[in-house]
Amino acid sequence: MKHLTWLLLIVLSAARAEDVLHLYNWNNYISDDTLKRFEAHCHCRVKQDYYSDNEEMLAKLEAGAVGYDVIVPTGNAVESLVRRGALRELDKSQLSHIANLKPEFRNLWFDPGNRYSVPYATTVTLVGYNVDKMQALGLPTDTWALIFEPKYLEKIRGRVTVLNSQRELMAAAMKYLGYSVQEKDAAKWEEAKRVILRAKPYWATFSNSTYIKDLAIGNIWVAHGYSNDMYRAREDAKAAHRPFSIGFTTPREGAVLAVDNFVLHKSGQRPDLAHRFIDFMLEGGNAADVSNLIGAGNANTAATPYIRSEIAAEEGLFPPPQTLARLEMLRDFEPKMRRTLARMWTEIKVR
Amino acid sequence: MKRSTFWLWVASLATYAFLYIPLAVVVLFSFNDSVLNAQWVGFTTRWYAKLMGDGEMLRAAGNSVLIALLSSTIATVLGAMAGLAMHRYHFRFLPLLVLTPVAMPEILLGVSLLLFFRQVLDLTLGFLSILVAHITFSIGFVAVIVRARLAGMDESIFEAARDLGATPWATFSRITLPLILPALVAGFLMSFTLSIDDFVITFFVAGVGVSTLPLQIYSMIKVAVTPEVNAVSTLLMALTLTLIFLASRFAPDVLKGKA
Amino acid sequence: MSDVRAQPADLTKWVVTLPPTAFLLFFFLAPALIVVVASFREPGEFGGLAPWPALSLDAFGFLSSDVIYLEIFVRSFFVALLTTLTCIVLAYPLAWLIARSPAKRRDLLVLLVILPFASNFLVRIYAWIMLLGPVGLLYTPFAVIIGMVYVHLPFMILPLYTNLEKHDPALLEAAQDLGANAWTSFWRVTFPLSLPGVFSGSALVFIPVLGMFAVPELLGGTGDILIGNLIKAQFLEDRDWPLGSALSIMLTLAVLALAGAMAWAARRGLHGTEAVT
Repeated sequence: MKHLTWLLLIVLSAARAEDVLHLYNWNNYISDDTLKRFEAHCHCRVKQDYYSDNEEMLAKLEAGAVGYDVIVPTGNAVESLVRRGALRELDKSQLSHIANLKPEFRNLWFDPGNRYSVPYATTVTLVGYNVDKMQALGLPTDTWALIFEPKYLEKIRGRVTVLNSQRELMAAAMKYLGYSVQEKDAAKWEEAKRVILRAKPYWATFSNSTYIKDLAIGNIWVAHGYSNDMYRAREDAKAAHRPFSIGFTTPREGAVLAVDNFVLHKSGQRPDLAHRFIDFMLEGGNAADVSNLIGAGNANTAATPYIRSEIAAEEGLFPPPQTLARLEMLRDFEPKMRRTLARMWTEIKVR
Repeated sequence: MKRSTFWLWVASLATYAFLYIPLAVVVLFSFNDSVLNAQWVGFTTRWYAKLMGDGEMLRAAGNSVLIALLSSTIATVLGAMAGLAMHRYHFRFLPLLVLTPVAMPEILLGVSLLLFFRQVLDLTLGFLSILVAHITFSIGFVAVIVRARLAGMDESIFEAARDLGATPWATFSRITLPLILPALVAGFLMSFTLSIDDFVITFFVAGVGVSTLPLQIYSMIKVAVTPEVNAVSTLLMALTLTLIFLASRFAPDVLKGKA
Repeated sequence: MSDVRAQPADLTKWVVTLPPTAFLLFFFLAPALIVVVASFREPGEFGGLAPWPALSLDAFGFLSSDVIYLEIFVRSFFVALLTTLTCIVLAYPLAWLIARSPAKRRDLLVLLVILPFASNFLVRIYAWIMLLGPVGLLYTPFAVIIGMVYVHLPFMILPLYTNLEKHDPALLEAAQDLGANAWTSFWRVTFPLSLPGVFSGSALVFIPVLGMFAVPELLGGTGDILIGNLIKAQFLEDRDWPLGSALSIMLTLAVLALAGAMAWAARRGLHGTEAVT
């Protein structure tokens, strides 16, 4: 028994001594291929944990998740992490490829001068759907009305999922009402809540990640979710020869644009590996993977030549200028507003 | 009478079917040659092969086993003491302290330990926090088993030993320990099973980089459901099955007593 | 040394009692008290708790000002009740059958009840995701109840069986000799006698169901949020620890009240059976 304990301790300490990069990332946001190449490049191991909502990630960090080297928060979460003092400043001298960033992704409002963050990829929160079903039922697919209007929902009752994210779902309703997602007037959010409550009886469930599979299998016909996940659902359905296809469109009323960034958490033990990782991901060929394999928009100029033309032409993934003008980013709120919105969210969940 | 027995069998078989069919489906579909796993496509063992090459999964399994071994060893020692104390000395607070963690909904223990580790101890969540949490919820189970074993015994042998001049340690090692050994083994196996299966409490107190099998399964169910989930479930089932079998050999009454 | 010899019994007493007591005081009672303290604090700007000395009744005020939290409690109790009743209905015939089987077969039948325990409870939930998805029942309240029942059923069967096993068959024969049919003798004799088993099984099902968050989260639809989900959300999504702590305290109080009520009911049930015998 004593020997066994020693053996275990040795194994344990060996595991500690290994070079490990702790990455806290969205699920379905970096391909295994890319990770394997980086692991070979740095002779280290990447340990990845997943989240499916910024709020979840922030809460986990506050709840004592210590030791993540690299996190991939969306703009508003970067802002909040910076104010919190939770991030380590980037050492640009270790990021030889930082010039590859597209000009429009530098100096964004949440981090002037890119002191803490390097934009990685973009997604649009939109509507994905089963093309065959929508055609058969004669439903419009380019509007939030598809998930909020009872007259459409009647035909797809129990076949719709929406994001289990207070911020995203309420933002979609705000957009549908023609309001800004950064609105500070609680009364307008109340209105959004009512739109959601009216539509809720028709929805199957709130889902942040399982909708990929549910769409691909055919359990679900319409899903509110991220463009890269819809892309994945479409490809999965194709690969499994499902008798239908999946499509996705940015609603004409506008939607939420997410710019997701690499940042270094202060509690990370390996800023050296973290910088190497970010620099590796800034190289054109590697940066292109997130578009080619994951189906997300790209923040990297050097990646452009590597991105397959059919992906680059996808409007849901790379919004054309006229769509881009209707997209908005989320911003963080202060605690009182957070509790008010959390309260509305609870009501949405319960009623 | 005959007719009522017939219906009793029908109802019972239906309940057994209810218990077993879902698990049979999980096992069956671990051999399904389809990523989406929505319908049966063909037989394969590739998910097991993939599992064996999945570094994260193996590390999580290693963590689970290590935590289960350590926590059940410590919980067995502390639980045995608690069981003895509850049997011999009638402190009123002790049963309450030992049994409440067992009776509470798990989420309450998880939340309170999270708060305690973070706000009071300022401990980095990880291996140690999971270990402590598992010991905390296991002690009660061991204590109950040990006390049940002692309750069935004749106190006079202990008195006889004392009368014959045995030191407390001699009484313990020569008489008490051999007598409660089956209960200790059963308690150990029970804590091991509880630890390796625990999800709720671990979910709250696990930190970065230390994952366990149930946490890994949860993440797979939430994020990327492939038949690999079925494969790991099947293997975990086989492991726990073995342990339960062993536990029932050492103390047949334990499993009934627990519930 | 002579000191130790002088009072060996006392020494043993403390050697045996202290370690587990100290451990549990530190890692169970202290954390529980911290939850109470946390519920009177204010949420930090980024999460966690605001710095001292901000103390307030905000969290409780927020809870009591709002009927919605009460609704979730009521709903959770309803789900727990429905789960418990379903478990009783499913467990009773099986427990009775096992109790009336020949001793040899009995162990096998009990083992067959325990074996599904060998699967992780997430696996048992996942099994129902696989089964209910294709038939369109996933993400419904029905799925939640089925999942809850499935996870907790053995906790009902085993205590019921343990109770029924002790019944004297002569009682039933006596009832039948007195002209009662199977149905009457069941309701008049067996069922009242089995009440303690029903109560302890109910406690083992009802209480865990109250705090369960994984089943509604994975199987439930848009309306299936229970206390457990609400507590989890405060800590791991909404960053409102004081509110989460206040909810935990409400749940603790509810469980304690329930446990008290059950103990009382069990005692009464016992008296009832004494009257019958």
